[in-house]
Amino acid sequence: MRKNSSNSHMKAQTIILCLLCLFVAPVRGQKADVVQIFEQVATFIRDNRLAEAEKELNAVLRVSPDQPVALNFLGTVRAKQNRLVEAESLFLRAAQNDKSFTGPRMNLAYLYLLKRTPDKAVPQLTEVLAIEPENAEALVMLGDIYLAQNNLQKAEQNYLAALGGRLENAAALFGLAQISRINGETRETAIYLNRVASLSADSKSPEFLYKFGLEAMRVNMFDEAKSALERAVELKPKEPSYLLGLGIAVLRKGDLFEAEKLFRQLLAMQPANPQAQLHLGYVLLNQKKYAEARMWLEKSARPGVAIPEVFYYLGLVAQEQNDDARAIVLIEKAVQKLPDYAHARIALGSSYMRLKNYTRARQELETAVKLDPEEPSAHYNLALLYARIKEPERAQQELKIIDQLKAKGATNNGVIVLPPKSNP
Amino acid sequence: MFIRGPIFLSLLALLLLSPAQRPTTTRAPVTFEEVPASTSKITWVHDNAHSPDRQLPETVGAGCAFLDYDNDGWMDIYFVNSGPSDFFTPPKPLKNALYRNNHDGTFTDVTDKAGVAGGKFGMGVAAGDYDGDGNIDLYITNYGSNILYRNNGDGTFTDVSDKAGVTAPGWSTCATWFDYDNDAKLDLFVSSFVFYDQSQNPLCTDATLQRRYYCVPRLFKPQPSRLFHNNGDGTFRDVSRESGIAGSPGKSFGAVATDVNNDGLMDLFVANDTMPNFLFLNKGGGKFEEIGLSAGVAYGEAGRPRSGMGVDAADYDGDGWQDLFVANIDQEFFSLYHNEKELIFTDQPGEIAPSTQLLSGWGLKFFDYDNDGDPDLFLVNGHPDDMIESRVRRVTHKEPLLMFENTGRAFKDVSAKSGVVFGKMFSGRGMALGDFDNDGDEDVLTSNNGEPPLLLRNQGGNRNNWIGLQLVATKSNPAAVGAIITWQTGTLKRTRLKTGGGSYLSSHDPREILGVGSAAKIDSIEIRWPSGKIDKLTNPPVNRYVKIVEGTGLVTK
Repeated sequence: MRKNSSNSHMKAQTIILCLLCLFVAPVRGQKADVVQIFEQVATFIRDNRLAEAEKELNAVLRVSPDQPVALNFLGTVRAKQNRLVEAESLFLRAAQNDKSFTGPRMNLAYLYLLKRTPDKAVPQLTEVLAIEPENAEALVMLGDIYLAQNNLQKAEQNYLAALGGRLENAAALFGLAQISRINGETRETAIYLNRVASLSADSKSPEFLYKFGLEAMRVNMFDEAKSALERAVELKPKEPSYLLGLGIAVLRKGDLFEAEKLFRQLLAMQPANPQAQLHLGYVLLNQKKYAEARMWLEKSARPGVAIPEVFYYLGLVAQEQNDDARAIVLIEKAVQKLPDYAHARIALGSSYMRLKNYTRARQELETAVKLDPEEPSAHYNLALLYARIKEPERAQQELKIIDQLKAKGATNNGVIVLPPKSNP
Repeated sequence: MFIRGPIFLSLLALLLLSPAQRPTTTRAPVTFEEVPASTSKITWVHDNAHSPDRQLPETVGAGCAFLDYDNDGWMDIYFVNSGPSDFFTPPKPLKNALYRNNHDGTFTDVTDKAGVAGGKFGMGVAAGDYDGDGNIDLYITNYGSNILYRNNGDGTFTDVSDKAGVTAPGWSTCATWFDYDNDAKLDLFVSSFVFYDQSQNPLCTDATLQRRYYCVPRLFKPQPSRLFHNNGDGTFRDVSRESGIAGSPGKSFGAVATDVNNDGLMDLFVANDTMPNFLFLNKGGGKFEEIGLSAGVAYGEAGRPRSGMGVDAADYDGDGWQDLFVANIDQEFFSLYHNEKELIFTDQPGEIAPSTQLLSGWGLKFFDYDNDGDPDLFLVNGHPDDMIESRVRRVTHKEPLLMFENTGRAFKDVSAKSGVVFGKMFSGRGMALGDFDNDGDEDVLTSNNGEPPLLLRNQGGNRNNWIGLQLVATKSNPAAVGAIITWQTGTLKRTRLKTGGGSYLSSHDPREILGVGSAAKIDSIEIRWPSGKIDKLTNPPVNRYVKIVEGTGLVTK
């Protein structure tokens, strides 16, 4: 756990340190030779030639120890060296020495977000906005902070301000899409995301594309999600979470073969990735490759972590392998964990039916129908049961419900089992 | 221990052989070899009437048959072709084709002489001796009205459709000869597809391609299939309504007559396209009850009707109960329904499911391709939509053949080692089974939509021992449909029910080849005829065809 957490912390640092570079450029009001030096330093920092940058900056600071641009640059160097305490101190000094210089304040905001202290970032961003009220980057950052705090009103205000009346800022639109989605406004979410998709068509930021992909999937925009995640994988092919995200998007698009390929690719990189194992197991289950599905699903089960879907899928495999007694044991475990799991109850009913325990089958299937009245397979199994216990009229009623559901557009698109509720 | 000289020497000789020279117990796989038109002299080609209007009947034809029309003991071949209809006027005359077997691997086109050219928009063929005169007659299903050709016994046929009362106008697909009331006469089941005529072809277009594509059958109205009772005087009576068959309108393709509950009455399993399949249970007294839903063979998972096309039945696991198979369209998986008795089936396709996920299946048949005694499975595939590749990834218009070997409780895909033809792609539709070279193993004939047919010679099936039975009924129906054949070699006993129909639009060699593996001797064969009579044979000959006459037993070797 600790290792994972440390890894993700490092990853976040890398992302933010890249962004820090963006705020080293302003060198207004400097003498021409100093400007030249700072331009050189900026290049060194961008090229990760930190020792050379530091040498130049020390030369400037020896002459002018409070020079704000030099302090900001040196803070950036320290941040890149992961010496965050020194970086913070240098950014603070730079901001102190030039109240109208927004660069160090933006860097401080990033630094505080990195340290997961968004409350300290807010005043810095507010200061930036006091100086530059239309600074879109600061507005979006502030919007993101409020969104994370579930303060949707303030988040929306900042995103709208960042847009400035023009639908050109992908990050702000993305924030608004998330707010709409939280508010249950699916249509608006889709409109925002569609615009984001067109603005970010050439995005070079795999992180943004990944975030977008996940958000698009949440509102069933699988084509857009797939497209964004494909580009994220193109930009960063070895990032496991991108591959997983893409695999899931492809899966939701119904392409079991491509999904299988992606999950296998991920497992080649991370053989013990439980999400990849679970999803590959799921894909193979839907392809009716039961023996291998069972292997991956069993691998994905971690001691002490009971995921209802794993038991459900393993139960389905047992069912298909004609072992209904075992299927019942497994699916019961899923139902114990998640009593509202309608699909598991359908499977349970089906197994009881195959074992000719029609009383239990009926209980489970009628419960499933109550839990999910719009699930055709619940009605189908109930129809099958009624037909077998010689209640043909009730069977026909259930079949009529299936027809009505189809007319309403309820369909499982040929996928027989619901995919895992995964969060890549 | 005393070793006699010659034996010792032969053992020594074996030891001296290099490994490569030593006899091996591993047998070469049984393969199917394509017999080219240049060899078979079969030059007929199916014309599917393909048009920019994309009329639905263009996609589904046509069938083929193995039959011995001249009673010379060799399987002849019949093909069905498209023809004039309300939406199609052939630019040049099209005809069905009858090819006579020349006994040397070649065939001669005798269509015109025999008078069986059809001349309608043909679909399927069912061969059967409906009048019990010892000559195989032909029933041709069409989009339009059907034709019954009575075999005159002199190499010619007469169209007796109107007189017999079996024209069944509309769109008929598969026809099945069987005896539903055990009165020793062949009755006729005719599958009906959708209600369709030229004015019924809605515009189904692909916006991207700016072209029409074939509409899915879901858009069309179902039609009741037909059951004709054989009156025994050359005529038939339409009993569709009184039998209960007409109470279940469908979009029916393949049909097989089998006995799913072992009550001695032949039931019907019928595949429907975009509708639930039918299992018509023969209740006796001329009545059928459709029990597809309660039997679990009507729908796919989640209550979705699938696109059933080809069907067959056999007891693949030797438990004494008939199992069912239905081929569906791509993404729907094909179903192998295991008979759990008590009129309940469970879908257990095993390895067949992943192998067929992207395929659309039509002609298919359970048969013992390697004469080891158990039924294997041959599948003919092809997607009905010629533009499918532009719309669905990984699905192709032409598709490969598949061969599955029975492993006892399941099937194993052995296509890759069953011959180069399994690496080719076809618009497969019909499939007929028959031993056209009389060498003791089942060969295969397929008819391909808009393409030449395919004649496949079984190579190596007869490396195992066998006996071929020609069943001649005297008290039962002439095709002996419903006969139960049991054969025993040592402690191994096998049983086969002679089913009626099966596959898709096609008709098969009526003889039964019983495989006995490496056993050099067959201890006994018992034939339980549909009449109830039982004939027993002890130590019959192996590796040859024999004629068995009901009530008399073995009459010729």
